[in-house]
Amino acid sequence: MKNAALPRFTVFALLAAAALLPAFADGGDILIKNGTVLTVTKGVVKGDVLVVNGIIKEIGENIAAPPGVRIVDATGRFVLPGIIDSHTHVALAGTNEGSEAITPEADVGTVINADDTAILTALSGGVTMVHTMHGSANPIGGPNVVLKMKWGRPSEELVVKEALPTLKFALGENVKQSGRTVQPGQTQRYPATRMGANAIIRREFEKARNYMAQWDRYKRAAAAKTPPRKDLRMEVLAEVLRGERVARCHSYQATETLEFMELAKEFGFKIQCFEHIWEGYKIADELAAAGIGISVFADSWAYKMEAAEGIAYDAGYCAKRGVLVSINSDSGERIRRLFNDAAKTMKYGGLAEDEALRLVTINPAIQLGVDKIVGSLEVGKQGDIAVFSEHPMSAYTRCDMTIIEGDVYFDRDALVKEREEAAKKAAAPRGDGGVS
Amino acid sequence: MKHSARVSGSIILFFITVAAFVLTAAPPAGDVGPTYAIRNCRIVPVAGPAVEKGTIVIRDGLIESIGPADKVKVPEDAEIVEAEGLVAYPGLISAFSNLFMEQPARAEGQASPFAEAPQAQAQQPQEDRFPPGPGLLVLDQLKPRKATVDGFHKAGFTTVLSAPTRGIFEGQSVVLNLNGEPLPPMVVRNGAALHINFTTERGGYPSSLMGTIAHIRQSFIDADYYAARQAQYAKGPAGLKRTAYDPRLEALVPFVRDRKPVVFQCNNVEDIKRALKIVAEFKINAMLAGATEAWRAVDVLKKNPVPLLVALDFRPPAASMYATQGEEMRKKAEAEIYPANAATLAKEGIAFAFVSGANADASSVLKNVRAAIKAGLAEDVALKALTIQPARYLGLDKTLGTLEPGKIANVILVKGGIFDDKGQIARVFVDGVLFTYTEVSK
Repeated sequence: MKNAALPRFTVFALLAAAALLPAFADGGDILIKNGTVLTVTKGVVKGDVLVVNGIIKEIGENIAAPPGVRIVDATGRFVLPGIIDSHTHVALAGTNEGSEAITPEADVGTVINADDTAILTALSGGVTMVHTMHGSANPIGGPNVVLKMKWGRPSEELVVKEALPTLKFALGENVKQSGRTVQPGQTQRYPATRMGANAIIRREFEKARNYMAQWDRYKRAAAAKTPPRKDLRMEVLAEVLRGERVARCHSYQATETLEFMELAKEFGFKIQCFEHIWEGYKIADELAAAGIGISVFADSWAYKMEAAEGIAYDAGYCAKRGVLVSINSDSGERIRRLFNDAAKTMKYGGLAEDEALRLVTINPAIQLGVDKIVGSLEVGKQGDIAVFSEHPMSAYTRCDMTIIEGDVYFDRDALVKEREEAAKKAAAPRGDGGVS
Repeated sequence: MKHSARVSGSIILFFITVAAFVLTAAPPAGDVGPTYAIRNCRIVPVAGPAVEKGTIVIRDGLIESIGPADKVKVPEDAEIVEAEGLVAYPGLISAFSNLFMEQPARAEGQASPFAEAPQAQAQQPQEDRFPPGPGLLVLDQLKPRKATVDGFHKAGFTTVLSAPTRGIFEGQSVVLNLNGEPLPPMVVRNGAALHINFTTERGGYPSSLMGTIAHIRQSFIDADYYAARQAQYAKGPAGLKRTAYDPRLEALVPFVRDRKPVVFQCNNVEDIKRALKIVAEFKINAMLAGATEAWRAVDVLKKNPVPLLVALDFRPPAASMYATQGEEMRKKAEAEIYPANAATLAKEGIAFAFVSGANADASSVLKNVRAAIKAGLAEDVALKALTIQPARYLGLDKTLGTLEPGKIANVILVKGGIFDDKGQIARVFVDGVLFTYTEVSK
């Protein structure tokens, strides 16, 4: 609970630093010395990590600091790739375009809110990158966006352009609005059942196919002909059908999940990942065979009917069966405890430390299509790094420092010091002209 | 019976007309008013250097001549306005306000589709007399009030754009010269600009900001498509199906095709970026209103120059990091950071106009301009931002915005400098009509 007070304090520190950029920006160069480096993909290295111009230049022992480069002493601490959240809704002005069942034109990338203090919360838990998504209010939501947690930077600098374009789909209770009482004078939004959800998604893909065919015919025909109307809704679905955008589908139960997989096969689009999927353990082999990942909670199952058959072993079991698993937060608060959540798969599912750590680093990176640039500590990758006081899978650990592309965005020691000074100042008697 | 009814109607109409004439303090524009000679005032024409002791002759609503006292002849028929100790400026222009709007603005922010109270809506079906949309002309729903006119005059404003307040495509604004009380003679330009607000539709689509952005884009795509098909049909209708008439798209066409100005309401730094993306996509002739966080978008604004109608509101926007971090920081930001918006823009070479904004009360405008000046803005830049700059943005700089012969006689006479703490608007001329607010003792 201590961490809860941090965000407010950090902003204060930023303001106090006069410049409105992060107070700790180092120009993309940093040397982290004498740590236990958990590279995730290249084993454990005792030593240093050097980042130059935002890119990891060297990992090894006794790396000399180039002149002027900030040195962070990580003696006794753990150095790991920045944590990646594969499914959350932070840093957005609005989550759902829930007014209609099909809204793929509603792109969350157009409503980034770089002022969301959840970014600070994320940083305090070592999170450097998130896949921030449209909500699950309707069967086809909108495109999602991948952001780096560069607090204090302009919104356009947060966007990770290398990431795979994704589109949010959703099945089950949220979509059929089972928890909603229809008021007098109001009509129930279609679909009201699971079969309806599947049917309306199929209907829209049929429409998108026709739309594409219409444009193809126009392009083949003489120039004088009238072009079809450009439809933003269909444009996004056409991207999915052309394989330029992948599906990320919110689903809980095994049956509807398998149905959606059939639909994808029928229309030839790619499902990158199922979200939350509490019954994933029932269809782990099918998921693994289809090359579809899952992004799930570590616990807190059975909070609604469709989660009733969720089990704590879901993530660990699926990982062991060869499914690409990530642990997500789905929240601007849980986001700072993703390492704790990943560690739960060691108790429930029997994953080893390094296997558990993959669930919040390289695995989400693969799911987001950014594993060539982040997700592990390797020379040539971006310098997105978290420094933890203990092994990140330990129950006693905490995040001390979060670095993105060589710039320090979260520094616990500096914050604690500033907080103490601010407290001292507040306790001192006010002189004349003090602003209350 | 019919005949006599018509006669009595005419008589009533005649009396109403006479009554209106008698009640109006001064003849409205269009009628010939007295010729005035303002004498012995300091003149700040904005168009050139100040004149220490000058004369301004106003005839038939226009500035006939202006200059040093020894160079300007006072016509024999002129009514003398003795103005020693006063400073003459061009009447101030607010290129964005909600002047004379009576319909309350819809609350800001995103309405959740699940948080609506449909029951209440269903039980009280209210007919919307002026449903918002691109075709709405705000002029049709304005109700002028003498007290509001006086309030704006006392803040130095003689020309005001009044914008609609509801919906996403809110409708089209009107530019008014505040020359009296009846509305028609005030109109300088109707349908001045289309106004777009990043809000949501109550109880329907779009219900989110991202839906709204998609809706705006799709609307411009559709209007452009509509116009293209109509043009094609006009060229050679044979073999073509007639495009179904669509009043909404019809109203949008001049803005997407003929570069008629569109004003986007931008309540925070992200709104500015959102608007600029749409502007670039559809090559819209745009202005951004509000823009109190323009200082946070300097780089983007330098790359995409666009007229800014900067509101003099120093409260951090609700979602801003300066508002969500506790009351102490919010107050500090309001007192120290946001007043420097204009100064930052000026320093970065970004042009802007000041606007009175949604305030029905204009009395705080000059006070807030003074705060902007204290935060580092040069006085001459502030004055231009209230005169020639908005005139240019509205395409009215040939007739308004400076004191020059041949321009409309919108002149304010100020006791003390306009940006002095004790500056006081003494007299106001609008279209050559004189309004007196402070008796000036010799």
